[in-house]
Amino acid sequence: MATKESGPEDIVRPLHNTSKWWYIAFGITAAISLVWLTIYGYQLEEGLVITALSDWGSGGGVTWGLYIGAFIWWVGIAHGGIILSAAVRLFGMTKYQPVARVAELLTIAALAMAGLYILVHMGRPDRVVTSVVPSYPWTVQSSPLAWDITVITLYFVMTATYLGLTLRYDAHRLRDQIPGYLSPLYRFITIGYTKKEDQIVERMVWWLALGIIIMAPLLLHGGVIPWLFSLMGSMPGWQGAVQGPQFLSIALTSAISGVIIISFLLRRAYDWEHIITEDVFRGLTMWLGLFSLLFVWLQLQQVINGVYAAGISSETVMMATITHPVYIIAIGIMAVVLAYIFAQAIRPGVFSIPRSLMASVLVLYATLTEKILFVVEGLQYPEFSLYAGVPGGYFPSIWEMSSVVGTIAMCTLIFLVIIKIFPVVELHAVEDHHDHDESGDHGDSSHDDSGDQGTAVATDGGATGLDLGIETAGTENERATADGQTEVTDK
Amino acid sequence: MSADDANDRQDEPRHPYETDESFHPLGKEWEEQMRDELEETDFDADLGMQMARDAQRLVAGEITEEEFYSSYHDDVEEEFDVDERPVFDDIENIDFDEATDESMLESLKDVDFENEDISRRKMMKKMGAGAAFLGYGAYATYENQNTDDAVPQDISGIRPAGEGDRDHRWGMVIDLERCDGCLACVTGCINENGTSTGANWMYVFTYEDEDTDQQNFLVRPCQHCSNAPCAKVCPVRARHTRENDGLVLTDYETCIGCRYCQVACPYGVNYFGWGEPDVPMEQIAHLEATPDEVQAMDPDERHDALRDVQDHVYDDRGRWVDSRPPQGVMGKCTMCPSRQDEHTPDHGPKGTVACMDACDEAGMSAIHFGDMDDPDSRPNRYLEHRKDVEESPGDKAERIAEEEEEDWADPPAPHHTTQLSTFKLLEDLNTQPNITYIGNEPGPEAEQVEGPVRYSSLSNDWGVEVVDNRKEHLDYGAQANRSNQEQEADD
Repeated sequence: MATKESGPEDIVRPLHNTSKWWYIAFGITAAISLVWLTIYGYQLEEGLVITALSDWGSGGGVTWGLYIGAFIWWVGIAHGGIILSAAVRLFGMTKYQPVARVAELLTIAALAMAGLYILVHMGRPDRVVTSVVPSYPWTVQSSPLAWDITVITLYFVMTATYLGLTLRYDAHRLRDQIPGYLSPLYRFITIGYTKKEDQIVERMVWWLALGIIIMAPLLLHGGVIPWLFSLMGSMPGWQGAVQGPQFLSIALTSAISGVIIISFLLRRAYDWEHIITEDVFRGLTMWLGLFSLLFVWLQLQQVINGVYAAGISSETVMMATITHPVYIIAIGIMAVVLAYIFAQAIRPGVFSIPRSLMASVLVLYATLTEKILFVVEGLQYPEFSLYAGVPGGYFPSIWEMSSVVGTIAMCTLIFLVIIKIFPVVELHAVEDHHDHDESGDHGDSSHDDSGDQGTAVATDGGATGLDLGIETAGTENERATADGQTEVTDK
Repeated sequence: MSADDANDRQDEPRHPYETDESFHPLGKEWEEQMRDELEETDFDADLGMQMARDAQRLVAGEITEEEFYSSYHDDVEEEFDVDERPVFDDIENIDFDEATDESMLESLKDVDFENEDISRRKMMKKMGAGAAFLGYGAYATYENQNTDDAVPQDISGIRPAGEGDRDHRWGMVIDLERCDGCLACVTGCINENGTSTGANWMYVFTYEDEDTDQQNFLVRPCQHCSNAPCAKVCPVRARHTRENDGLVLTDYETCIGCRYCQVACPYGVNYFGWGEPDVPMEQIAHLEATPDEVQAMDPDERHDALRDVQDHVYDDRGRWVDSRPPQGVMGKCTMCPSRQDEHTPDHGPKGTVACMDACDEAGMSAIHFGDMDDPDSRPNRYLEHRKDVEESPGDKAERIAEEEEEDWADPPAPHHTTQLSTFKLLEDLNTQPNITYIGNEPGPEAEQVEGPVRYSSLSNDWGVEVVDNRKEHLDYGAQANRSNQEQEADD
């Protein structure tokens, strides 16, 4: 980091240089996406009978399953992503500015996947516009699903505006440094741009960020999404005012994990160790720890409320949940992740970027399975307990499971394409980078106990190298630089 | 039974209205008056008071009928010196209005202690009925707490029109004491609507409850709630309440198949079109016109056209709401709108439903469909008839079974207070169901058991297989067939 100056040329590099790894990644994700789209086509033709879903009640199954669980998961990632980015702007957390746009792009991509899941889940996706729009003035008064559609749309518009506004600034300044074929696009998005608007845009972006931060707990993942479930008197497993905070904590946990993973990959691929510094990863890891703790705390509240002197139906569903292997594994993962994050907070030597990466992947697995289980267990233990005698359960069919792989591939694909069109790191981040480095050092002296960051990193990295045998951070820069050169050569 | 015994019971659970002063909801003064009256008889006043207290607990659900019965069996035998415990059987002979106005003493004199030809089962039912008398004041107090005030009245398509503005409020009285689990209603429904395998719009539970070995039945059509959660949550107003008669229907042309109605319904009455329906559209009587054309017709013209072809698909508003749903949309019990709209006069007249016809044909007459607003409708008159305390329910059931179909319509009894046990399913959820059950409500420990007639043994007009558990069929029947088809296509 301190060894190298960052500048605009760094952030436009992905637009110019395309390595074979990019083509391989693109090929694989495109192939997976196509395979899954074919599977979806099969489902459209045959109907949802190909899923493992059935009618709850005398039908012996659950009517919502993996699709809805994965939908909440993607929406959670999306919501958390934009909250992260808004917080960076609103609270002046400039240290995280290099990953702010990654979080915004993750929001857009994840939201697209969530929207796709709504279609995949529906019996008649062809009617989504013709049926929803005409009845909207009535349904918005009564249907949580209509509220859901409303806020997701509103939120998509806000995020896109936000991204668009900040992109104009960059596009104008970088227009001479981009490949020629992108010029028309850049000219289009900078129509009418003058430098006078910078200040206005900055204010607009600040207000948008404020709006997002306020809406998040009230309406987005802390409100409308959990209300889809918690307002249903029919399913005791979903009830409780804790669902709002619980959903929000899971959203933030998932989103930070997503940002860590994507930042890691970008940093490696484009030699951005000096932009997305280890310090950023340390900070993100701490935030991941905080929100994981909230997640586990709110789970504890639910479990205790469900098993101690609870009504029969609440106790039944909570007992079923806490004895379910999926739940035990998910909470076990959260415990391991928390243990790692606490340990690295106390002993900085325990930290390593690959470990944080692994923690992030595990967290995303845990949140996905927890969400699916939440949906399924709710429906399996309804208030009307006579149906308990109906045999049957739910294990997702191969077609449903393929959708998770398919959407992850599509989300990656979206990122791979965006990388080649726009700078995924804000110009502000590299312009201000040098100043930020210094302020960052002061701000983070609590866990980075040395003013000489380079030394600290080398020390920490050395410990890591011994523990994991992967690589040492001290040599990481050199190795990555070498990679970058290889890339250029390939090109 | 002595006063000491009564003291021993202090630690037992109390019914909700009990205070330290008095167990009776009408207070201490009333209790003392009761005691004074009992003291004047030759019978044990303490026993009488204790039984009265426990009767209140029974009504509040603190103890079961069986517990109540067994607690007092010996005492009653000793006190009244009878073997076959006919005491509570014949307590029905008491005029309860008079009893509360005048004295228990007078009432007890009328008890016939010699009636011995009564089965244990009937006996128990009557025990419950007798207990209900004693606790009736408490029941009435509780009932008055449920008001309609909490429910929004003005959201179009969610609630039926106000009582003065609607033509009917269709509903049912189902006499569970008359049901023998023959499943004739299930077959009748399938014949009428052509529902697919496992989509048992009419479903009959056979269950055993705590401390009994006997089989009980719960007949479960859609409850056609006046405050239907399914209609409330629908994001497209496909699931709606017909304002002029309160039928809760699904517009198959609008439904997007999100299954939120199914999730919101606490009764589990919805059955989704997971795949292609088993009964093709050609086999269902319907007007050969597109839904748009039907809706565009003049109302009278439409009515005549639909009536001419005995249409079983469109209702009088021209909306496709009847018969089984097509693939990808939700279906459930409709209460036969084609009949209520007089489109099928030859097949089924207005004011009848297929399951009731089948039940009547089977000689059971447990299902009584009609306008719940109309005091002279079949269900209301049947309910009055059953509440008639001049004749024991057992005797009456036998008499009705022997009599012609029309004879249920005897003039209502002069006194409406009754020991008859009635309930509505999950009424606490404020769904305001339009099905009233006569009989005992399944307790929290009720367990579904195999019934006297298996679903798989049922045959119907369409030759469609009938199963109890739809999940199994969808997984290994419908889906397996489709997988094979796909394999063939691939080859």
